[in-house]
Amino acid sequence: MFASIVTISLAAILTNNFIFSQFLGICPFLGVSNKMSTATGMSVAVIFVMTMASAICWVINEFLLIPFGVAGFMQTVAYILVIAVLVQFVEMFLKKAIPALYSAMGIFLPLITTNCAVLGVVLLNTQNNYNFLESVIDGFTGGVGFTVAIVLFASVRERLQFADYPKAFEGFAICLVTAALFALAFMGFSGMKIPV
Amino acid sequence: MKKTVDFIKPAAILLVVAAVVALVLGGVNMLTEDTIARNNQEKVESAMQAVLPAASYEQLEAPEGIDALYEAAGGGWVVQVTKSGSQGNVTMMVGVDTDLKCTGISITASSETAGLGAIASQQSTAGEAFRSQFVGLASPVAVTKDGGQINALTGATITSRAVSSGVTAALDACANLG
Amino acid sequence: MNAKKQLTEGLITNNPVLVQQIGLCATMAISTTLFNGIGMGLSVLIILTCCNVVISAIRKIIPEQVRLAIFVVVIAGFVTIVDLLLQAFIPALSSALGVFIPLIVVNCIIIGRAEAFSSKESVFLSFRDGVFQGLGYTCVLVIMCLVRELLGSGTIGGGLLNGANSFITLDGTGAGFRIIPEGFGAGALVLPFGGFLTLGILMAVMQYALRKSNEKKARKEKEVKE
Repeated sequence: MFASIVTISLAAILTNNFIFSQFLGICPFLGVSNKMSTATGMSVAVIFVMTMASAICWVINEFLLIPFGVAGFMQTVAYILVIAVLVQFVEMFLKKAIPALYSAMGIFLPLITTNCAVLGVVLLNTQNNYNFLESVIDGFTGGVGFTVAIVLFASVRERLQFADYPKAFEGFAICLVTAALFALAFMGFSGMKIPV
Repeated sequence: MKKTVDFIKPAAILLVVAAVVALVLGGVNMLTEDTIARNNQEKVESAMQAVLPAASYEQLEAPEGIDALYEAAGGGWVVQVTKSGSQGNVTMMVGVDTDLKCTGISITASSETAGLGAIASQQSTAGEAFRSQFVGLASPVAVTKDGGQINALTGATITSRAVSSGVTAALDACANLG
Repeated sequence: MNAKKQLTEGLITNNPVLVQQIGLCATMAISTTLFNGIGMGLSVLIILTCCNVVISAIRKIIPEQVRLAIFVVVIAGFVTIVDLLLQAFIPALSSALGVFIPLIVVNCIIIGRAEAFSSKESVFLSFRDGVFQGLGYTCVLVIMCLVRELLGSGTIGGGLLNGANSFITLDGTGAGFRIIPEGFGAGALVLPFGGFLTLGILMAVMQYALRKSNEKKARKEKEVKE
């Protein structure tokens, strides 16, 4: 049990990092990584939603979709609805309960619905037959992996504005080239695992 | 009063849309269900035929550590086993003859790095060459880096190690059958 | 709005990937063989067109408050239909694209077009928009696949074309035509690294070309004025 949890965490954060090796969540990754403060705000929101979505979708799949025999074709629809509702709910809750946190991460919340890392993690959880605990751990550490990637990248991107690159590479193009170098570096983690 | 009505109408429309979508999906599912099941069945069977040809296979209870175990009609076994590779799980079929030697392997599902580990499951000369190395080997199977017989696909040997440990697990499982 | 203008918008001036810069995840993830690229491109084209038509048809009855939820449900419905059909009739494509088929639901191209175009325009225009934007997406995918496959593994048309017997195969086993001898490809290009790099360079080329053509247009206008 412990070994599987460590393996999942290691994979989600380093070896199978959602951004640099699975290409999930690239849009928000490029969209909000231009400033360190927005990057951290987005990360907190993503960790939260990914963990919650993993937990709720597991319960829905296990106790609603599978017993009714509709798991094969209603999974995607059900999961995306759960995520959309969850995001909406979190937004409303934060607005009322913790206004300070809401003003810090409020604007990122609606964006998370279309973050493919969130739907990706719940679909992969189901595909890999993870149990409840494994799903939650995968969701949480997946979010941590997203944070690691986006924070590292934001710190590089802040310096990128002083770099002297060809004008045609302005905007996302130079970011993608930079991300390519990150992906290459993250390749170095591949194969790292806990001997069982 | 007005507020409740404002709230109910959008909710009702959403519900209707969701119900229509669910109905349509149910219909499409009914139409495709059998074909999908047949495809999966065919995939498993063709993999079994590739590693150990036989007229029929009988499924036995799978011991711990492997996914499924089939006894071939002409003697020998086909074992389905899953090991973790570099990007995720590698699922393979391993044929085992009555002398407890490997008769062949077929990788049925993997998400290994394209161009590197993924060669293991490809229908190419390099892929065939890699898989044919396992034929005739007895347990334990290991890559040359670990003092074994298998020439690994890449320097990192992650996929090759996963396949080797899978074949070893399959051979051992059959040995324990007695 | 004429068809020609919509077509150039979809393919070049408002290309979903290179100019609007959306739907990047799948573009980089699956563009390793031509088989994947064309399969994914056409799937998105079909889903986008269907969603555009349906959303445009029901645009008058969609309440403002729940419009995103309705978009998402309609999109998820079409995605699942395509997913099931692929599993049934082209299983090789379905296993090659894996989780990226259901992930079309959150592909920003589709929800983006729903929000920006089909929820405002007529059914016919939305249909055309779906086809042309889908074509623009497919073109980028195909270019990415050709570059990465040729330089990375040295072949063209992997999975789809087969030099030996039948020309086109749909079971994903085609080895493609070998252009660069085996072992000489720059393997890194088919890795995640290559995905980021190829798309980055493609985007830069596009920005360069668009700027050049804008400058040319501006110069011409200036000349006409003078």
